[in-house]
Amino acid sequence: MRKKVYIHDVSLRDGSHAISHKLDKHQIALYCQAAEKAGVPSVEVGHGNGLGASSIQVGFSRLEDIEMLSIARENLTKTKLAIHVMPGFTTINKDLKKAFEIGVDLVREACHCTEADITERHIAFARDCGKEVIGALMMTHMVSKEILLEEAIKMQSYGAEGIVLYDSAGAYLPENVREKISYLVSGLNIPVGFHAHNNLGMAIANSITAVESGAKIIDGAIRGFGAGAGNAQLEVLAAVLEKMEYETGISLYKILDAAEIAQENIIEELPTIKNLSIISGLSGVFSGFSKPVSRVAKEYELDARDIFVELGRRKVVAGQEDLIVEVALDLKKKNSTFNSSSNG
Amino acid sequence: MKKNKLNIAILGTGNIGTDLLIKVIKSEFLHCSLFVGRNLQSKGMSKAINLGITVSDRSIDILEDNPELYDLVFDATSASQHLKHAVIFQKLGKMVIDLTPARVGILCVPSVNLAECLEENNINTITCGGQASIPLAYALGLVHPNIEYIEVVSAIASKSAGPGTRVNLDEYIETTEKGIQLFSKCKKSKVILILNPADPCIDMQTTIQATIQNPDMSAINAEVNKMVSKIQKFVPGYNLIVPPTFEGNRVIMTVRVKGLGDYLPSYAGNLDIINCAAITIAEEYSKSVLLTRKLK
Amino acid sequence: MDKKHIEFLKKDCEDAASWSLDMLEELKNKKIFIAGGTGFLGTWVAEFITYLNDNHQFNVSLTILARNIDSFKNDKKHLTERKDIEFISKDIRNLNELSNDVSFIIHAASSPDNRIHVSNPIDTISIITKGTDNLIDSAFKLPDLKKILYVSSGQIYGRSIPSNKLISESDFGPMDCNKVNSIYSEAKRLAEATCCAYVSQYKLPIVIARPFSFIGPYQSLSKPWAINNFINEALNKKNIRIIGNGEPIRSYMYPADMVVWILKILASGKRNTSYNVGSPYGISLKNVAEKIVQFTDSKVDIDIKYNNDDSSLYVPDISLCQNDLGLKINYDVEETIRRAISWFKL
Repeated sequence: MRKKVYIHDVSLRDGSHAISHKLDKHQIALYCQAAEKAGVPSVEVGHGNGLGASSIQVGFSRLEDIEMLSIARENLTKTKLAIHVMPGFTTINKDLKKAFEIGVDLVREACHCTEADITERHIAFARDCGKEVIGALMMTHMVSKEILLEEAIKMQSYGAEGIVLYDSAGAYLPENVREKISYLVSGLNIPVGFHAHNNLGMAIANSITAVESGAKIIDGAIRGFGAGAGNAQLEVLAAVLEKMEYETGISLYKILDAAEIAQENIIEELPTIKNLSIISGLSGVFSGFSKPVSRVAKEYELDARDIFVELGRRKVVAGQEDLIVEVALDLKKKNSTFNSSSNG
Repeated sequence: MKKNKLNIAILGTGNIGTDLLIKVIKSEFLHCSLFVGRNLQSKGMSKAINLGITVSDRSIDILEDNPELYDLVFDATSASQHLKHAVIFQKLGKMVIDLTPARVGILCVPSVNLAECLEENNINTITCGGQASIPLAYALGLVHPNIEYIEVVSAIASKSAGPGTRVNLDEYIETTEKGIQLFSKCKKSKVILILNPADPCIDMQTTIQATIQNPDMSAINAEVNKMVSKIQKFVPGYNLIVPPTFEGNRVIMTVRVKGLGDYLPSYAGNLDIINCAAITIAEEYSKSVLLTRKLK
Repeated sequence: MDKKHIEFLKKDCEDAASWSLDMLEELKNKKIFIAGGTGFLGTWVAEFITYLNDNHQFNVSLTILARNIDSFKNDKKHLTERKDIEFISKDIRNLNELSNDVSFIIHAASSPDNRIHVSNPIDTISIITKGTDNLIDSAFKLPDLKKILYVSSGQIYGRSIPSNKLISESDFGPMDCNKVNSIYSEAKRLAEATCCAYVSQYKLPIVIARPFSFIGPYQSLSKPWAINNFINEALNKKNIRIIGNGEPIRSYMYPADMVVWILKILASGKRNTSYNVGSPYGISLKNVAEKIVQFTDSKVDIDIKYNNDDSSLYVPDISLCQNDLGLKINYDVEETIRRAISWFKL
């Protein structure tokens, strides 16, 4: 029997970052239909930072959460509809209940990799409602495998049916993936997954290393459509896994067709590894920061790379985008003192 | 009984209650006559015993049986317990400052509606993020009534959020959102909370962003500065680190709150600010009661 | 709780009483103190004792201690508005003394919910270890103390018992004390050792029960355990999801059996002896799911995900209770699941 790998499609969620959360109904419908045809097991839809995240802080989405989910729901039958949820942004009363009414199947309950206990209430609520729940630990490059296992065990105890390690900053090298994934696989009773970003060009290599280390769930995005340098390119993943004789349930030709559709109708600019992405991968800062950092850098006439390095030094986590302006102001001040002293 | 100080009781001997105790001891207007909880072995209890404070492990019962021993109570237990306590204090006619998210009484932000609150006998201190952000939202509302949307993002040190806070993030968000709308009169509000695990611990940081077309920046700056200096009188570690800045179609500003480090560590500015607010309310109440007594 | 539920419980109590009345003679006219009395086990003891008082003149009085009794009081008025039960709202760690007329003590204060253990491991350890020490210390001076029953857990046997045999009271397996999910079991082991210390030093009459798994009335379907999830999913018309291969073998005791066992161990258990409490009838999780689908008559699928190859066996050997205390199992696997489902459907 061929070994199975579950490919989870984050294009319509992580990709939202790449187009400043401006997905429209037509795009969602088109892509969901294409993914359904290709046999993608699950499609995650929404604002880049998840359900209830639309805000000044991380950007407003064009559509309300419920509009996005409803249109996706209408166009998915076998493929599961998934959401990304983060306590601190999302609440049960304001967001989760509505999403469940629309008929979401799968919940990715996410948090910064050291804060698993904030997910207890949401996981319990989702499980009580009969939803499938996968725990998502973000920015996992920041801590050791021992801490990751500890936090993953918490989520497992709350009722998570899988744990996915997010390389939110695209900072992993294959050896890091091997070390952490295999450690979690041996310590958990539930499947382990990996969510790659391509800042250092390692997304596919890292994902394959994860599979070889025992991961059963791999996140991918069509054409790599995701935050910053993008995610592991889904159709490439499908092809490589097929070559390696893994079973994904995805039809290769049809997923290639989906990629064409997405490229024509959704993706404004194909993800490339820009200088800033490389810097963000090296400094270990969440890929979603690159757009706001560029904007602020331009506004304050600073080098965006300096901002990234400083953000990395301050160990920012997703959601702390307000720090960008503060860092910019600080750098500005330092620059001007430097200038005035050199003048004097 | 001290003549020139008001007798207060502290109910709940956890971190919040114990930090309040230290602040009361430092206060010119307050005297802690009872420090009560359920466990004589708790850290807070043994600290109080060492400080020579009268303590009891009979919690609410001792306060119910001995109303003559105190004039005002800080309730630092939990929301569900406060619902029960509130009824008892109401019956006894005691002033209560409620530090739980129970929201039985009037919501109070001392720099905004202190005088109005002193007319009531149950005062709620909302949330830590609320104490940091609502005064500034209120200042914005003074200049621009009918603001479309205000957003508050607070980042706090992971270590300053105990197990209670962690399972109650949803309540924190909803209560703070209500407070923002109530005080600023804005149409819509959104609150985001981020737990930051960075080591060493970060100080609490709160960013307020408001959607305003053609803001009157000089008026905003004036109101905000006025408000900040008002708050600094009772929360010395409250600092505006990004002054009101107009960007695109929004006004953004950021404050940082460093705690006093009385009993709680100084990075727990989020907890300190709510305690400072409670102490300020109690002191003002004390002044007015003592004045009435003197006149009599 | 409404009339339907109360009638259902009454039927269970009737069945339990039908074979156990003579075994529980020693409890008659005594006062029983239950720490953690609002949990699953404590509530069942209260349910059954009040039944025995009402129908068989047991004349037992109960004192129930719990940290928070409000929701219990709102939900279970048929138990709380009675003269033979008294409630104390207190943390077991802060208990100072017990009323002098207490003869029997059941210590069941600590939640078996593993979500709480990992979210608040420090408090978990503290309640179990300090609570046990404090309660036994408080019981020390009682003039008419007959027995203390410490409710431990089947989990103290450790994680991986290599053989495929039923777990008997001396089958300790390895346990890694540096894992957060061992904290509950390790604390329970220390609590058992504390019991042993009091028995040894002061000759106190302490017995220990080690409960395994149960399903039926007063269990919550939102607990994170396989069978609870399965029933919840089936009743919600969702597919039943099995994370592993469906091969782990578990067993489920019906609570009406459990309550008799607990009270019999309290009445007649031998000092310093530990007794397994559970069903010896093992069943694979896959079979559990199949039975649930059958008995709920729901058209849902069973989705086995094969994410791990765990095929462990967690089923007690109960010969000690059977041989020494004359206890027996009245509900087999099918009957337990069937009756549990009819309760959850009410």
